[in-house]
Amino acid sequence: MAGDRPLPLPDEDTQFFWEGCRDGKLMILRCNDCGTYIHLPKPGCWNCGSTNLAPSQVSGRGVVHTYTVNHTPLPGFEAPYAIVLVELEEQKGLRLVTNLLETSPDEIEIGTPVEVVFQQVSDDVTLAFFKRTGGAA
Amino acid sequence: MTRPVAIAGAGYSAVARSLEQSAGRLTIDACHAALTDAGITAKDVDGIATYPGGGDSVSCFYTAEALGVPKLDWFNDLFGWMPAGITPVIAAAEAVANGACEVALAFRTVKRPHGKPPPGIGFGARVGGDMQFRAPFGDSMTSSWLAMWARRHMHEFGTTEEQLGHVAITSRHHASMNPVAPLREEITLDDYFASRVITTPFRLLDCDFPVDGGGAVVITTLERARAMPHPPVVVASTSFSTGPRPDWDQWEDLTNMASKYASDRMWRRTELSANDLDVAELYDGFSWLSMCWLEDLGIVAKGEAGPYFASGKARVGGGAVAINTHGGSMSGGRLHAISHVIECVQQLRGDCRDRQVKDAQVGAVTAGGGVMGGALLLTTDR
Repeated sequence: MAGDRPLPLPDEDTQFFWEGCRDGKLMILRCNDCGTYIHLPKPGCWNCGSTNLAPSQVSGRGVVHTYTVNHTPLPGFEAPYAIVLVELEEQKGLRLVTNLLETSPDEIEIGTPVEVVFQQVSDDVTLAFFKRTGGAA
Repeated sequence: MTRPVAIAGAGYSAVARSLEQSAGRLTIDACHAALTDAGITAKDVDGIATYPGGGDSVSCFYTAEALGVPKLDWFNDLFGWMPAGITPVIAAAEAVANGACEVALAFRTVKRPHGKPPPGIGFGARVGGDMQFRAPFGDSMTSSWLAMWARRHMHEFGTTEEQLGHVAITSRHHASMNPVAPLREEITLDDYFASRVITTPFRLLDCDFPVDGGGAVVITTLERARAMPHPPVVVASTSFSTGPRPDWDQWEDLTNMASKYASDRMWRRTELSANDLDVAELYDGFSWLSMCWLEDLGIVAKGEAGPYFASGKARVGGGAVAINTHGGSMSGGRLHAISHVIECVQQLRGDCRDRQVKDAQVGAVTAGGGVMGGALLLTTDR
């Protein structure tokens, strides 16, 4: 599945997220003042404006909020493949773009419970994929 | 200083799937057409606005030189995420209203990168910025981002693929009566379902049709416009908005777009309401975007856009408000909504022949999808 898919180029603000993936932890930036989770990572809180933020580990559980099955071939991907937007259980609207492992595109439904699965795709990059909760191991 | 403003001229360059002319040439042709329509020349122009986009067009300075504009008192090259084609029109209307200039050209030209397909966003070995969270999962195109919004709308409101198909069919029906539309052969639901899937729920016929071409309008004070050859089309309100969480994935409610906020703002600046509309040219980079604008403008209730298109109400003569009377971007060509502006001007002048909306007095033009939206309310001079 890895192939030649594009890989992230972490920067000062996003490095913690990718380091977390390498350590098998899903880390999301969180506001120390109001408790809001912040994704995509930015140096200020979208809810209260505070800059007092720190990465915080989340459960990795969520549900499929929406999805699309892309039939257009892109470098590194074999079409058709599903792109899924997962909403994490920690906060309404806290979402990650991902792919579902062990699931064919026509099995995907909005509302399906999913959990994170980390998979190393290159020497230095591990991606946060998801799979259906309780599905085949 | 705020002065009433009107659109006094509008015109296109050649528009077709593939043209030999440069972006500069297409721009000059479109500007000449708009100036001729307004009964003036480049010597009368003192303001220019455009969206040069991603290297597919030319700048204000280029245009001023190539047209022979004596001097610019105001110019604005617009870049970045924004409702591209409508943006220079809004900017120029505000500049004239504020007294920054007297006669402004606003244009959008699109010259496609021929030969190689466009690179898209975020391809390549390593991807930074926001795209580092999308590209590794094959989510690099606006088509997949907005397909996910459309899917959510289908889930919450029961919008169907067949209803999306009716957006395409309606556009093509109108394009069949528009001599400058590049796609003019009527289509059926069978044609729609036979077109290849791009990214679900979008098929090829849900997408806009890439073309080369340009469109321009002349904007001036209502007072000056009254002395020009055509009846002035008055700019009654404008808006240029996003909403909370302006991010393609974190946006609060994926069943509405920035269209919700741009519509609210546009209506708050006028005495008119959605009940007054006769025609609406709604941005349609993908079919579902028009549905979303239709609902967010308040023409129909949330979730009712699908039935509006499927029952034929969006057709000229079909319902209260005719939608995308030139064929939109889907059949009229992807000019980033400058064609939507031009069509609305021609409708309010009563110049649209077979596709003319009877006694059209009030029209809305919108552009943008997802996290950005711009809207224009245009009226006859009444």
